[in-house]
Amino acid sequence: MASTFRKYARIWRVLVLNSFKTQVATWLASAGYLLGKILRFGFFLAYLLGIFKHIPNLKGYSMPEVVLFFMTFNLVDVGAQFLFRGLYGVKVLIEEGDFDKILTQPAHALFRISVMGMDLLDLLTLIPIGGVTVWALTKLPHAVSGQSVLMYLVLIANAMLMAYAFHVMIGALSVKTQEMEGAIWIYRDLMTLGRFPINIYSEMMRGLFVTVLPIGVMVSFPSEALLGLLSWKGLLYACLLGGFFHLAAQGFWRQALRNYTSIST
Amino acid sequence: MRKYLTLFGLSWQKQLEVRSDFLFERARSMAVLVSIYFLWSTLLEKQSDLMGYNRVELLTYVLIMTLLRAWVLGCVSDRIPSEIATGKLSELLLRPISHMGYWATQDAAMKSLNIVFAIPEVLVFSLLMSAPFYLPHHALTTILFGLSVFGGMVLYFQMSYMLGVMGFWGSQSWGPRFCFEVILEFCAGAYFPIDILPAAVQKIISALPFPYLVYYPLSIYLERLSPAALLSSFLHQAGWIALLAFLLNNFWKLGLRRYAAEGG
Repeated sequence: MASTFRKYARIWRVLVLNSFKTQVATWLASAGYLLGKILRFGFFLAYLLGIFKHIPNLKGYSMPEVVLFFMTFNLVDVGAQFLFRGLYGVKVLIEEGDFDKILTQPAHALFRISVMGMDLLDLLTLIPIGGVTVWALTKLPHAVSGQSVLMYLVLIANAMLMAYAFHVMIGALSVKTQEMEGAIWIYRDLMTLGRFPINIYSEMMRGLFVTVLPIGVMVSFPSEALLGLLSWKGLLYACLLGGFFHLAAQGFWRQALRNYTSIST
Repeated sequence: MRKYLTLFGLSWQKQLEVRSDFLFERARSMAVLVSIYFLWSTLLEKQSDLMGYNRVELLTYVLIMTLLRAWVLGCVSDRIPSEIATGKLSELLLRPISHMGYWATQDAAMKSLNIVFAIPEVLVFSLLMSAPFYLPHHALTTILFGLSVFGGMVLYFQMSYMLGVMGFWGSQSWGPRFCFEVILEFCAGAYFPIDILPAAVQKIISALPFPYLVYYPLSIYLERLSPAALLSSFLHQAGWIALLAFLLNNFWKLGLRRYAAEGG
């Protein structure tokens, strides 16, 4: 067990270093990308703050509470990009024949693919996100309890598990069809629906966001837990849903591999 | 002209070749519409107007903004830097068409496809949501809106092409391009109207070419501009188009002198 962990830790370190070297070699592109992400975050925040100068609340949520929802969305979004970006490129790996090489290597293919595109620069965007989250927490009308913080952390971990499941499903679709490159972007865009509390959407959409398109479970539930608005039943439901999506994604991936015909080799 | 029409047809075929990717691309634009529409709709639940916009104006802004994102801000010339880096440009330079004409035709093909698909998408969404929709009081408004949108399309193509031409000076232009597009989308009013921002910020943004892509065409449609402001918006738009045409011409010539046909 310990040796397996050491092996994967070594693979992780080598691949992350390789990825970081690529980013340093293309510093202008990386800097532009990083600055763009920070600016987008800043612009949205500025607009939110601007809107709250004209309204007292949004569906009963005060300004710091809405900012907290926005920060949680950013945390999950950036975290998933940092950890699973490698799965964006399954189609290219297949087209260039590299996918076959990865399958023959003595490491779990999903792990290998996930970490090969790890973007350390994404971590830098967590600095402003963390700063604004702390600011929003200090502005909340009620103090946050330790239990709420614990629930928040569990739900963030659950959101990452679900994000991983969606990345794996899209990777599996690429293996099956070689033409699902756009699916990852639709996942990213659908996630942006979680920028604001899901209470702003219609009842039917809210139903979708806590079941088949679980954006609400991934992004809104953690913030609701932090604000003391989510029950233990909600937490349990989120974890069960996370487990279900994870198992479904793993099954889908295995099924895609069984049908894979080594198309480019 | 016939060769450009052939290229136009080929571009349509190419974009519809991988239909799942095309449909996903269309679905992506709906995500922005849904999130922004519901945000404004919720904000206007308890008040009849917000920041100088009434409910009908603001929700119409969101709906038409989605169309303009597809028509004005959609572009394919982001592939120019890789064309330069891989030497594929050499092949295009040998063809009996102008390089800008080649990309302008591809751009027009993409925009026409977007027009065909975006209208029913927004229409279905409006019907499902029973969204209120502002209709201009004067027929002339529609013509002026059309002119302003066309100007916006030309202006955005020029900016995108200019960023592509920057590929002559470095192969890493995608990072700065991403950054530029983020700034552009917000300053163009492609998420929210820029007049909800403080006056000083609005003044700075109005001096840039971006608001003439989405915000001013939409303000024309919503009949929110005085005759003087209307004239000023057209003059600014035309001025930016002329300036960018001049700059593009010179950057293209300078870039070609640097081009070494690496890999070509």
